[in-house]
Amino acid sequence: MSGREGGATRWLAAAVGGLLLLGLLGLALTAPEHLPVPDLDAGYATPSELPPFGADNRGRPLLAYVQQGAQVVALPSLAAGLLVSLLGMAGGLLACAGSQRANTIIQAFGEVLGALPRMLVVLVVALVVPKDARGLLPLALTWAVLAAPGAADEAAAVAERLGGARFVEALRAHGYSGLRIFGWHVVALNLRPVVVRQGAEVMMQVVFLEIALSYLAVAEDQPSFTHADSLVSWADLLNLGYPALVLDVPTTHALVLGLSLIAVVAVVTLCAGIAARAR
Amino acid sequence: MPAIITALIWALPGDPASIICPPESCGGTDVLAARWNLDAGPWAFFQGWVSAALQGDFGSSWRLQQGVPVAELLTSAVPNTLVLLALSSVPVVLGSIVGARRWVPQRAEAFVQVLGMAPGLVLALVAAAAVELTYGAASFMGEGALVRLLAGALVLGLADGALSGSITGTRALFQSEDTQRYVGVALLRGERRLPNTLPNVAPALAGQLRARLLHLLSGAVVVEAVLRIDGIGDLLWGGTLLQDFGVVLAAATGFAVVSSLLLVLQAVVEIATAWHVRRAPAVPEHASAEAA
Repeated sequence: MSGREGGATRWLAAAVGGLLLLGLLGLALTAPEHLPVPDLDAGYATPSELPPFGADNRGRPLLAYVQQGAQVVALPSLAAGLLVSLLGMAGGLLACAGSQRANTIIQAFGEVLGALPRMLVVLVVALVVPKDARGLLPLALTWAVLAAPGAADEAAAVAERLGGARFVEALRAHGYSGLRIFGWHVVALNLRPVVVRQGAEVMMQVVFLEIALSYLAVAEDQPSFTHADSLVSWADLLNLGYPALVLDVPTTHALVLGLSLIAVVAVVTLCAGIAARAR
Repeated sequence: MPAIITALIWALPGDPASIICPPESCGGTDVLAARWNLDAGPWAFFQGWVSAALQGDFGSSWRLQQGVPVAELLTSAVPNTLVLLALSSVPVVLGSIVGARRWVPQRAEAFVQVLGMAPGLVLALVAAAAVELTYGAASFMGEGALVRLLAGALVLGLADGALSGSITGTRALFQSEDTQRYVGVALLRGERRLPNTLPNVAPALAGQLRARLLHLLSGAVVVEAVLRIDGIGDLLWGGTLLQDFGVVLAAATGFAVVSSLLLVLQAVVEIATAWHVRRAPAVPEHASAEAA
């Protein structure tokens, strides 16, 4: 791929990913506080009968499900992505600092966290977090902390390939300021592809985690760990649509909608990774 | 893991008994505190639980399957999870072989990565639907149960980047090693690439494999719960959902034991590799001088 083609691809990915992300955030910001009042006459309405997405079994528009689901995941997934990016960046910067002691501490920290199955830790946190503090945010941040050693490792590997402390010394010899060396040359030009991709991947994982945890709870008729009982999530769309696979229930549109939202999140992640690629 | 859970419970603000099971769910927390040694501090609780667990006594389930000894639940769950883990590691190991031999062209790598983004929940739902449509009510016994297990293993091995990660990760590892000078020298001597690089990448490969198996173990929670496979993951999920702390603690210990075994396995591979490398014939001094 030529440089110009690569640049065009990156801009296209940034535009598509940015638009989709803005769309999801817009849905989250416009989410209604409660689901609309049931209208049994509109039960199982298809998207053509009740645009844009149709209705559930009680005639409530699926648009409200999409909006509330976006609201449930928006802030926690962004926070988790940001935390991983920051910790990854810190890992890369420490590798540039060339401190053996810091590297050993980070490695030990990473080994300990890396030996813990993430879902197990998330469930333990879900169990012990007080009921009034329950929500996706603590689980998302836990997931981010568990994912951080991987991001820091990758960023450190990039920094080491760059020359680590020698690279910094060389730039210092040119008379560059610390901000220019670390902020621009190390982070913006070299660590950016790794930290943005890792952050985006963790955002996606948090969304998938929410869907999985909520689906499993909803399927058992239990309250979800990730949101208040008054809200619904994208998992409810899958739960609503799943019977269409095994029984003759007209909820295929809900299943397709749920899967499409998952695909949108995956596309945003892919686009973020492509857009942040090194030139 | 029990130590971390204990520390977490006492680190959080509030009464440990209320954290383990809120009064609105479990009633009198005083009875709960006395029963679980929670009123005597973290050390007494931890020591009491571990010494009982070492004798095979994990207490009884108080909400998930009331009154049933947790050890009994574990006895039926552990083998299923181990079989699931072993079966699901097949695609991962195959992916490593494919990555090492570079059977997938680099151009197709992006496609493989996109395929690997499929979430475990979605694939598990599809697998559950397929099994239920094929076997109906008989899907929980005999052949149906076996197919559930196989479908679960396939989902775990493919979803959430398990297979794609093993292909691309192993490939990247070998590609990076191939840039080393000794590989070029070996090729010039007419030797094959893989036997030369394998001993050097084996420790990193073992680390990657451990991380992937841990990832499978983590994913087993969702897959077992959706496909209703009686395993530790399903037990952990059920215990968490119903606030059955005894079950969660025991299931978490089960997870931690498997994770520790994986660590030991990695250590064994690393020691064996180091031993193999040490046994390799030393390069004569004049040969190394020529190479330099």
